[in-house]
Amino acid sequence: MEISKMFKRFPTLFPPIFKDCSYRLVTNKLTWVLVAILMLPCALGLLVYYEYSDDRISEEIDGEKIYFTSSGELLHEDLRDIFLDLSQFFGIGFIALLLGIMFSSELISEEYNLKTMQILRTSPIHPIEIFTYRYISGLITGIALLGLYSTIFYIIVMMGSGIHGILEEIGLLALVIKIVILNWIGFLSIFCAINVYFERPYLICFIYWLFWEQIISGQNYQQLTLTHYINSIIYDSLIEMGWIVTADDYGLVNSNNDTIATDPLLSALIIIIIGILFIFIGSRGIASKQF
Amino acid sequence: MNTIHFEQVTKNYGKVQGISNVTLSLEPGVTGILGPNGAGKSTTMKVILGLTRPSIGTVSVNGVNPFDDLELRKNIGFVPEYDCFYEHMSAVEYVSYFLMIHDFNKEESIDMAQNSLRELGLQDSMHRKIRTYSRGMRQKTKVARATAFNPQILVLDEPFQGADPTTRHLLMEKIKSWSDEGKTILISSHILHDVEYLTDNIILINNGRVLASGNRHEIRKLMSNIPIQIKVSPIDKKQLRPLIKRMLDEKWITAGRLLESEGEIILETNESEKFYTKFPQILENEKIIVERIVSDDDTLDSLYSKLVEGKQWK
Repeated sequence: MEISKMFKRFPTLFPPIFKDCSYRLVTNKLTWVLVAILMLPCALGLLVYYEYSDDRISEEIDGEKIYFTSSGELLHEDLRDIFLDLSQFFGIGFIALLLGIMFSSELISEEYNLKTMQILRTSPIHPIEIFTYRYISGLITGIALLGLYSTIFYIIVMMGSGIHGILEEIGLLALVIKIVILNWIGFLSIFCAINVYFERPYLICFIYWLFWEQIISGQNYQQLTLTHYINSIIYDSLIEMGWIVTADDYGLVNSNNDTIATDPLLSALIIIIIGILFIFIGSRGIASKQF
Repeated sequence: MNTIHFEQVTKNYGKVQGISNVTLSLEPGVTGILGPNGAGKSTTMKVILGLTRPSIGTVSVNGVNPFDDLELRKNIGFVPEYDCFYEHMSAVEYVSYFLMIHDFNKEESIDMAQNSLRELGLQDSMHRKIRTYSRGMRQKTKVARATAFNPQILVLDEPFQGADPTTRHLLMEKIKSWSDEGKTILISSHILHDVEYLTDNIILINNGRVLASGNRHEIRKLMSNIPIQIKVSPIDKKQLRPLIKRMLDEKWITAGRLLESEGEIILETNESEKFYTKFPQILENEKIIVERIVSDDDTLDSLYSKLVEGKQWK
């Protein structure tokens, strides 16, 4: 089937699958368990707000109310650190990764369990279409969920610094959302492909993440990992935003302590290419899998 | 021209053999494939559908290899034995989705899905979520999905399983009408009676091997020579002894057993056809009214056992 025909069929065939997938993902109990875990830093954010609200000092400059800490530092500069640190474990870190693993299993493995995959394989639909529709559905649902979550979390954490603080650091929220998108483009594609090939996808996805992405991402040949490119983008963006960070903070150094961060645009491109590559690998798996 | 052709096809799943050295040809019309569970019926169907590749041998469906040909799938409708639904979709959404896969536009698909579901008697429930459906309704939905696009080949795996008598009758009539339209239909079952009603062409399969293929009369004839046990329960239990005594006088009864406590006798014969012809006359002459006549052996299992012992027939 030619690619142009697949594009033509997309507007007709994608919406019902998106509806089905998003329904299954949103009604999955595990999604809500992970959402509950994601809400923990929001609760912490509220705690931070009450903590700072007693000690903060406000000053009106050019009609804007600006908040400072008791030691005279800009409050939003303190709060943004909390937001980024917690996001790196929750919204763009480990918990988001668990959500991605769970989504991929629901999108692909569940189709095999429900045996709908067998019916699709007896229908005139190309494996790339089968894989891509589910992948894009997961991508949209995941990005929407984590994008919304990150925004809420950002507002909760930053509200102590007032409207000025929220607007001043809005670039950080944009960065986190950008990372959410790129994270999901890369990782969801890999996880979905793992689900096509393996019978215990949860375990294999986790092993891949732990041994490949975590251990190798600190080594000389870390360019083989997605984490390297994600970290490169975060590092470069923070530098651009005027943060004081080093390449070492993000593990972007080799054994000689040379910075090996990749250009952010190239990083984003590589992540997208990896996403597309795994669409093909996953589709190939669907095509060759026998029942 | 044969629509489906198997040439010495073997399919192994690791060390387990799905089908072994199967050669068969299917032409337009209904062909019944009969066998007990695990006989190889589903594997045969999967090979036709391109869901699995043969380990050895060649398969052609409409002249092409079914595993590689996406175009061929536009001409094959499949009703699986198992459920395969997006449970929260309605039947219309489900059937129309598969029609859209066949390149019908959305409006056409909805229209065709509704017609197909209506024809199968689901007009009142087709907008309800599939998860609320009974077994019979699910069966009809599967059939609607497989047939709404008017495929030339239909592969029906145990289509009557779990269907109530009305659904069963409806499906049988539908299958007959599709056969009259010239479609090639392969239908699997483990009940001879179901298939007998639909077709003369029968393939018997067991342990992955085709034991026999031919018309149903020949298959029935094979069954008539198999020793069978028949349980007879007269209404008046006092007639148990006279009845067994009378029956043992007949040469075609090889053995008899009286089970007084259960109110029945068990008769054994090698000539089942003769039994079913002559026994009613004997009952009439002796003025014996029976409550029931049951034979657990009057099934395909007896035939399989005999054929598996070595006798192949074509």
